[in-house]
Amino acid sequence: MTDLAYLGVAEGAALIRAKRLSPVEWTRALLDRIAAIDADYNAFLVVTAERALAQAKTAEAEIAKGRWRGPMHGVPYAAKDIFDIEGMATTCHSKIRMNHRAAADAFVVKKLRDAGAVLLGKVALHEFATGGPAFDLPWPPARNPWNRDLHPGGSSSGSGSALAAGMTPAALGTDTGGSVRNPATCCGIVGMKPTYGAISLAGVFPLTYSLDHVGPMTRTVEDNAILFHAIAGHDPHDPTSTRRDTPDCLTELKSGLKGLRIGVVEHFYTEDAAADPDQVRAIGEAAGALQRLGAHVKAIRLSPLSLWTDCNRTIHQAESYAIHEKDVQERPEDFAALTRNRLLPGAFVSSAKYIKAQQLRAALCREFAEAMRDLDAVITLSSLLLPCRIDDPAAIAKTYDQQCRLVFNVTGTPAISVPTGFTASGIPLAMQIAGRAFGEPMVYRIAQGYCEATGFAGKRPPIRLPERAAARV
Amino acid sequence: MNDTPTASDTVRLLAEQQGLGKALKLFPDGVKAAAERGLRPLGELPKGTTSLNSPAPIFDPAQFERAK
Repeated sequence: MTDLAYLGVAEGAALIRAKRLSPVEWTRALLDRIAAIDADYNAFLVVTAERALAQAKTAEAEIAKGRWRGPMHGVPYAAKDIFDIEGMATTCHSKIRMNHRAAADAFVVKKLRDAGAVLLGKVALHEFATGGPAFDLPWPPARNPWNRDLHPGGSSSGSGSALAAGMTPAALGTDTGGSVRNPATCCGIVGMKPTYGAISLAGVFPLTYSLDHVGPMTRTVEDNAILFHAIAGHDPHDPTSTRRDTPDCLTELKSGLKGLRIGVVEHFYTEDAAADPDQVRAIGEAAGALQRLGAHVKAIRLSPLSLWTDCNRTIHQAESYAIHEKDVQERPEDFAALTRNRLLPGAFVSSAKYIKAQQLRAALCREFAEAMRDLDAVITLSSLLLPCRIDDPAAIAKTYDQQCRLVFNVTGTPAISVPTGFTASGIPLAMQIAGRAFGEPMVYRIAQGYCEATGFAGKRPPIRLPERAAARV
Repeated sequence: MNDTPTASDTVRLLAEQQGLGKALKLFPDGVKAAAERGLRPLGELPKGTTSLNSPAPIFDPAQFERAK
């Protein structure tokens, strides 16, 4: 019997298309599971059960009549509560937005609706995609299914938690300094930050206009590529949206790694900053695995990590403050302390510093493009450290910049987080695979080859079901 | 008598100029830490990059015509 909790997009879509799985049955199983276990994980802010079942019934009826819309037809997903959904609040996990109502669907939500996907609900995040796991907000923070006491990563924390706990096979996240890849790393799943402009930002509450990306989150690489295809594409309402055709990420997905050239940006975690030994060991083993799969792997150098961090954070501080200035001035007490502390520095960033950061960004983008001239991809760590305790704000503040993800928000190029193993105590480890602008097919191909060979993606955390629910879910 | 402003006077002045009087009253330590972070200078630009280089975002007037 198929385990519907951990059924993935690709496998589920194939079963649905073959009429061996009912989208209604799958949706109902996940709704039951959410009802049974989410009190332990706080992944969902709102469960749209009625809507989900109605969408699943429509999908089932259409497929029965031979009108299969594609691989997301009848497939459940969850959306970070930063995406507009017509008639619902886009709270951004904030008291400040509790009374909001969206007038229309975000572009990507509409794409998924048109693809026949089933919305299970809206999931938790760090307030306005920048705070942290806060306990001073109307909703509790999402928990890490591998260990409830640890940070699940963020800001797309609910997306990561719901995926790892088997409450959804797919989720939407956003990523400005690593917010898709951080929860992917901490929760042992797969998270892709695509090329800037590949996925529309229309209907997504902004954090930092020039660094924001929408990203697909799933448990496997193939599922991620399918979701990417479903949501990418030009949107005339988003001035940052590319006019390029979405690259085909599926045809070459399983073509292997033989002959590919992969750079390792080691100095980020061996010279520029201190990293956890387990993370360093795991990426070293990953580099060895890539070599055994036939890739040519060599160390490369970029500017020091601190320069990338300065660049990202300066742009982030200035742009996010411009968005939130009025509320920070008039109602600072309504933000969580973690969020307020992230937003306030933007009030003190001078225009000259912001412009210099943009000049720096241009220089760093050129540097990365030059480094990629002879490479198909690079790998580097995602998090330098292991997830800290969720209730330790000082540790959370300290780990905020202890990461290599924001590098690829600066370059705007694609980067995916994939699991590289576990610590002795069972905490997921991860690395990033990053490529050229619009090089998603190559990034997915390397990620697929690596994950297929190592088997770290798709591992399940120890979820305990309440007794009565266990019989049903 | 020393008329030189103290660090906290400077932060208060800057914060008030930015309309952060309420935040300063409620969260003085948070505002002080934010000022330190926001005012921190940017790292050195890579070799060959100067203040004369064009920044990353390029203004594209045609984009507004396309949007229609």
